[in-house]
Amino acid sequence: MTLVPVLAKVVAVKVVLLSVSALALVGVGRLRTTATELPQRLRNVGVPITVLVVVLLINSVVREPVTEVAWLVGINITPLIYGIEGDFVPWFQSLGTPAFTTLFSYAYVYGYVYVLVFPVVAYAALEDSRPLEELAVAYSVNYVLGLVCYVAFVAYGPRNLLGDSVESLLYTHHPEFQFLTSRVNSNTNVFPSLHTSLSATVIGVAYDTREVYPGWFAIATAVGITIIGATMYLGIHWATDVLAGVVLAGIAVLAGRRYAEG
Amino acid sequence: MTRGGAAPQDLSRRAVLATAAATLAGAGGCVKRTRNVMARDPPEQVTLRILTVPVDANPYPSRIARELASHLQACGVDASVEPMEPEALYRRVLLEHDFDVYVGQFPRSEWRDPDTLYALCHSMFGGEPGWQNPFGYTSMGLDDDLETQRTSSGRERRRAVTDLQAHLAEDQPFTPLAVPDALGTTRTDRFGGWHGNPMQPVVLLGLDRVGDTDTLSVVTTDGRVTGNRNPIAAEFRARGTIIDLLYDPLAREVDGVTKPWSAADWRLDGGDGQPVAEVTLRPDLRWHDGESLTAADVAFTYEFLADTSLGNADSPIPASRYRGRISLVDEVAVADERTVRIAFGDASPVVAMRALTVPILPQHVWRDRTEPATIAGVETNRTMTEALAWNNPRPVGSGPLAFDRGVPGESLRLSRFDDHFLRGDPEGLPDRLVGGPEYGELRLSVAGSDDAAVELVAAGGADATVSPLGAAVVPRIGRESALSLVSDPSRAFYHVGYNTRTAPLSNTRFRRIVARLLDRATLVDDVFDGYARPAASPLAGTPWYEADAFPDEMGLGSSFVRPDGTLDTASSKAAFVEAGYRYDDGRLLVE
Repeated sequence: MTLVPVLAKVVAVKVVLLSVSALALVGVGRLRTTATELPQRLRNVGVPITVLVVVLLINSVVREPVTEVAWLVGINITPLIYGIEGDFVPWFQSLGTPAFTTLFSYAYVYGYVYVLVFPVVAYAALEDSRPLEELAVAYSVNYVLGLVCYVAFVAYGPRNLLGDSVESLLYTHHPEFQFLTSRVNSNTNVFPSLHTSLSATVIGVAYDTREVYPGWFAIATAVGITIIGATMYLGIHWATDVLAGVVLAGIAVLAGRRYAEG
Repeated sequence: MTRGGAAPQDLSRRAVLATAAATLAGAGGCVKRTRNVMARDPPEQVTLRILTVPVDANPYPSRIARELASHLQACGVDASVEPMEPEALYRRVLLEHDFDVYVGQFPRSEWRDPDTLYALCHSMFGGEPGWQNPFGYTSMGLDDDLETQRTSSGRERRRAVTDLQAHLAEDQPFTPLAVPDALGTTRTDRFGGWHGNPMQPVVLLGLDRVGDTDTLSVVTTDGRVTGNRNPIAAEFRARGTIIDLLYDPLAREVDGVTKPWSAADWRLDGGDGQPVAEVTLRPDLRWHDGESLTAADVAFTYEFLADTSLGNADSPIPASRYRGRISLVDEVAVADERTVRIAFGDASPVVAMRALTVPILPQHVWRDRTEPATIAGVETNRTMTEALAWNNPRPVGSGPLAFDRGVPGESLRLSRFDDHFLRGDPEGLPDRLVGGPEYGELRLSVAGSDDAAVELVAAGGADATVSPLGAAVVPRIGRESALSLVSDPSRAFYHVGYNTRTAPLSNTRFRRIVARLLDRATLVDDVFDGYARPAASPLAGTPWYEADAFPDEMGLGSSFVRPDGTLDTASSKAAFVEAGYRYDDGRLLVE
């Protein structure tokens, strides 16, 4: 019930952001050509795109069972993570202001969707199919390895362990977002942070295409880093999850490059 | 931060040094000396893992657990907190008994009779799964008190109950902390007549419809019932609000009095300490699948709850819920289609009546689930029956609401059962229940946290919350004009439970010190924001509580925590030393 308006809002904001960026960064001319050549271009990158679609479909189906299986076979590493990094997240959150909270909340929800979807549009508009292939492979690697980790490790984020010192900022200020995110993610899937790994992946691929889209590289870096900061500031992820996410992104981008070049 | 790694490293270093020394020395005398040293295992630091639920499930326990862990660390214990889903936590604690310490809540909020503690504390339940003595605690003295309160009345019973509270305080198999206020929120534009807390099934059944909608929508933060609806599986049940709407008992508590429910009436014969009840069912009772509910179903229920294998297993495999109440019943015989004779064991009539409040189960559904549970056809555990492992996806009960459909983790839909006796003109029940419920459908949604649940009610997506909320959302409820705050005292006390089966928690002295590392008044202020009362006994807040009966050391003011909230580390460490424990380099050691 509450899900529908939230979803509608997210989609609307995303469409506006995407259209504006597409016009500004990709250019009208390129978009026109893309419209006519799109079927042919998609055929060229058919394999990695199909793989990505299949991975996303499987991901949406097994999400629920994965959480169940993780309780059977996974290790609960929450105490270990807290033992390693201690009170970093409470400290980071204590630096915040209401303005930060708003910025990070919007980055976490809207910025994330934007950063993930825009490069797909931008790279589809290129004659060179390699960036799109690299991106599709890198996304798939993220989801597959992420899923493996979610089976092997059960972990709760700081907001679920440190109720006294970490506020669950996103959900206390925007409780409606929880209806959206709880459909997408279980609260035990925090190690590694997929928000981090996918944002870092986008930054990595944007770096590889910086000559075609220099503006996008700058935007992706700024928004991506904000999202990564937001995962910790909002009390959703540990710094450890973020580090693991960056490592995962590194693996994913390398795999993407190898595929696109090979 | 990590202290866990230190002990094993230390151990191996000692072993290596010892071996090296022995090799170098070679000579006989030195070897003998080395053997002397090696013969004593080096003591290790005490390690305790405190299990609890995540903040999303309940904001209080993890804060208590963190406080306890930090005070234990200050005393040189390697303590850490591990949050787990309620289902996983209670599986570990109640079924597998594989834990050190947990911080949790007693699952029943509406109880006053001290006999409720019988199953929780009696030694004979130490090996059983469920809310039956999960602590593995044994005490002949306490067992005697529990038996005496069951069979006596008046001053004698009172003395036994006072005694048993003193016993619990002395031995601390678990440390009661606070009795909370059950907080909830309701909106009144579609339904009125919220007489009490919406977590109580009887309150939901007695609502007045004031709007046009035919659907009552409620929201919970505990989604277990969307995936499992087994009334006898302890790890999936909290208060059992939904289960109690689906399954009817013979008697239900209405407005604080135990009233005939599926039973039309009963006659209780006190006998000579072994009462017998002749219970007559209401006419024309039906199960949700259309079958008739008869006296045979009632007799079956009592036999089945006591042994879900119905005699097929080597020893009985009881249901993991309702154990205390079932242990009151000796034998149930069918007198005719609508009458059963329930013979109780040694019990006073007041206590015996508790047995009538268990849900009645349909014989034709559960009779076939008495075999040992299997995984993919392979028998893995002969002490678990299919009935206990079953998720009961389409429950068949006889309650006022019948199951319609459910999406695991998201929602549940129940519809009014029009063959229910409430739809007729039942006698002996308050007017608001007669003819009810006034809605055709009840929808339960699952929210990810207290904030999301309140938001859903505020946005009009639900009429009430049916799982207890944390105090942190009270201001949010206050800001929304459409919402009213519901707050009533709950008996679901928060406590720290210890696994007394293993060292060092098997040592009463050790537990008594751990119990004093928390201060109840501080917790009530800091963690519960005042929405709770300190409790040194599970019966605190009932007329059975007697503050004078407590040993001074274990009473309410006996904590090592100073009034300003800081721990008196020196005194608590001294207490460990006095109890026979040793320190090495600030670490508390266990042999």
